[in-house]
Amino acid sequence: MIEHPCILTDVTKCIGCEQCVAACKKINHLPPEGPPPRPGSTPDGLSADRWTTVVRRPHNHFVRKQCRHCSQPACVSVCPVGAMQKTPEGPVIYDKAKCLGCRYCMMACPYGVPHYEWGSANPSVRKCILCYPSLKAGTIDRPACVHACPTEATIFGRREEMVAEARRRLRAEPAKYVQRIWGEKQVGGTSVLYISDIPLDFLAWNDGRELSDKPLPPLTWGTLKQVPFEFVGMGVLMGSLYWIIERRRRRMEENAAGAGEERHGE
Amino acid sequence: MENRRLFVFKGVMWVLAGLAAAVAIVRFTLGLGVSTALSDTTPWGLWIGFDVMGGVALAAGGFVMAAVVHIFHRERYHAAARPAILTAFIGYGAVAVGLLFDLGLPWNIWHATIYWNIHSALFEVAWCVMLYLTVLALEVTPTLLERTKFQKTYRFFVKLALPIMILGIMLSTLHQSSLGTLLLIMPFRVHPLWYTHLLPELFFVSAICLGIVMVMVESTVTSWLYRREPEMEMLAGLARLASVALALYFVLRVGDLARQGKLGLMFDGSSLANLFLVEMLLSTVIPMVAFACPAVRRSFRGLWFLACCSVLGFVLNRINASGLSQVWATRYVYFPAWTEFAISLGIVAACVLVFFFIQERFPVDPHGLAQVEAEREKLAAAPPAFAPFDQVWLGEGWRKATKVYSFVFVLALALGLTAAPKAEPTLDVRAVRAVGATVLRVGPGPRYVYFDHKRHQDEAGGAKSCATCHHLHQRGDMGTPCVVCHGNIFLPTSIFDHEAHVAALHGNASCAQCHGKGEPIRVTPVKKCSECHDKDLMAANPIVKTFDSRWAPSYKDAMHKMCIPCHQEKAKDAKLKLPNLGRCGACHDSGTQSEKAYTAEFPEKATAGGV
Repeated sequence: MIEHPCILTDVTKCIGCEQCVAACKKINHLPPEGPPPRPGSTPDGLSADRWTTVVRRPHNHFVRKQCRHCSQPACVSVCPVGAMQKTPEGPVIYDKAKCLGCRYCMMACPYGVPHYEWGSANPSVRKCILCYPSLKAGTIDRPACVHACPTEATIFGRREEMVAEARRRLRAEPAKYVQRIWGEKQVGGTSVLYISDIPLDFLAWNDGRELSDKPLPPLTWGTLKQVPFEFVGMGVLMGSLYWIIERRRRRMEENAAGAGEERHGE
Repeated sequence: MENRRLFVFKGVMWVLAGLAAAVAIVRFTLGLGVSTALSDTTPWGLWIGFDVMGGVALAAGGFVMAAVVHIFHRERYHAAARPAILTAFIGYGAVAVGLLFDLGLPWNIWHATIYWNIHSALFEVAWCVMLYLTVLALEVTPTLLERTKFQKTYRFFVKLALPIMILGIMLSTLHQSSLGTLLLIMPFRVHPLWYTHLLPELFFVSAICLGIVMVMVESTVTSWLYRREPEMEMLAGLARLASVALALYFVLRVGDLARQGKLGLMFDGSSLANLFLVEMLLSTVIPMVAFACPAVRRSFRGLWFLACCSVLGFVLNRINASGLSQVWATRYVYFPAWTEFAISLGIVAACVLVFFFIQERFPVDPHGLAQVEAEREKLAAAPPAFAPFDQVWLGEGWRKATKVYSFVFVLALALGLTAAPKAEPTLDVRAVRAVGATVLRVGPGPRYVYFDHKRHQDEAGGAKSCATCHHLHQRGDMGTPCVVCHGNIFLPTSIFDHEAHVAALHGNASCAQCHGKGEPIRVTPVKKCSECHDKDLMAANPIVKTFDSRWAPSYKDAMHKMCIPCHQEKAKDAKLKLPNLGRCGACHDSGTQSEKAYTAEFPEKATAGGV
């Protein structure tokens, strides 16, 4: 399996046929569309049974949404038991055997990708795993969705190659594309890149207004790494306060007793 | 004689506990989807916002009072320390129970002890809950042992008290702030008025404030329920303390907003900004100002009301930060299902009952215990007073109470089980024969409508007319059972093999044969199957003409498309004088929840039925 696998999706080439969705369902053994979505399901159409989806935008624009496989994934950093894992090669995968079901990963994903099996009494978090097991085993050379795409709107390769290819396309037709590669730098870079003729900010919560090029995990780590010092510091503070106050109290009691005795002696 | 106020209050708690027990059964057998309104946009709801975030903060009284009494030696508050620590212990127990409800895989809750991820704020939270719960158990032990024969063990625990208290304060500091840390990673979800890098610090300081006012609430409510003299001196002292702590919180919070240049956001008139103002007024501003007035500090009612107001405000703060303010990003307003409220209230009720149980038997508050014991003795000594509870003699004192409580608990449990939502069942039967006639199942519930099969058959043309309504086996396929395709009759079934069609029609060049030219290629609107497979599919069908997609219709579609149009047609014929059996109410109960949901979603279809 190649290092840093990456998908580049060119929105201008997508015809919205959803062959990628069908291929994804087939390779991951996902059921056909289930009952109508619960109230409050994500508006992009992703679900526990649909790991990639084609979001329809005005004027025949089709944007395929899937897990971005961030370089520094928030979902991996927040999982208390390490059920979400960043593999050495790059894809972010999920281990049900460890999961608690706390759903913090769903809260922490800036793109709203992990979805839950709400209908089950033994539920899993489900999302695209970039066909990691099959790629790793070598039974396929690219993810099923890429293989299925009839127009090569979505292509697969090493991340550096994909960034270079995206740059080449942006340079070749500057009038056609918005001059930006979505996923190149946002939240520290993702392994699913987009180039497009329409803005793709809608892929992130709140149109990505609060997202920068800085990865998300350090936001928490800055506080978490202080924890041992905080813990010990509080102990020392409380211990010494107790010692000071107790000593003063005892002195005062002794003084009072002494004064009492003196008075008694008079 | 007996304390009617307390009796009724405990009865209500038992009702809430019974209701929660019923919902618990549904929650653990059918899953979160059925028992909550949670969704992929709002994966954390009331159970996290109130039970966990709020519960931990409400239990802050334990460490605050431990510090005030045992470190700072404020003897005046000594009476409040034991109840506060007991509350913290029970509160943390409640947090753990609440988490069990909220976790999708609660049986894996112990995993945090073996699978470590130190980069996760929730990992810190998990360890803090485990350790602090243990520490609190050690802190509570002396209270339970004091009046038993285990005096040696008691003295050992008393000696251990100070280091344990300090350990408890250390853990609480971490834990209260780590709940703020939990939200640091989501600047894209938490509204800017709540999101700040100081979230951990703000959570810690507000926990101290909440700890103090919560002790006030507890003390006032207990003295009201047990009809005791309120400890006004202590309450007034706590109020002064709260006033200072609230002022510190206010300066920190508003100062932080000013530092970030977000002060303007407070008054932009949006509903979230107003929510922020309400939260700040309730939790901080009103109590802070009022507690500073000596007149208020002398009034029992005033102290009770303001402390409640502040508690409410801070619980709202936790709910806002961990959920409500995120509507800003998700644009979906989650409102908890009644089942979620039932669990949250039930856990609180169970906590209150456990608190009373311990308080009435162990020296949590020695004066109070003496009073309770005196009353109990008086009851035991008194001759049985024949004052029947209605027509039934339930006994006296605790016997009567136990019987009434068990009765209301079971009653609430039964009511809860009746009202609790049921799962959508998977059904593989379409029609059953009962009492000699065919009945059709209506909707996923156990409801049926009478269907005169013979009459329909006769009208459609006798024995040869099966294919008018039922589709036949496909050509070359004579033995496939219905269930192979129609696994769940309430879902549409995909019977279309795209790859086989592409191959048969000579590859990609053939797209336009089905998808049309110049149109974007998408899944649904393609050529009707019957245009090519006219003879392969079903016999010419006078009723159902429009099975045109690649999906086999679901049972619901089949019923609706076959019954409704034909019956509507017949109802128009004035000569036949038939009632309109095409309307919704002909088969479905009117006024049910599903019908309301349906008419809200498709008003045009509901009225088209001609109700």
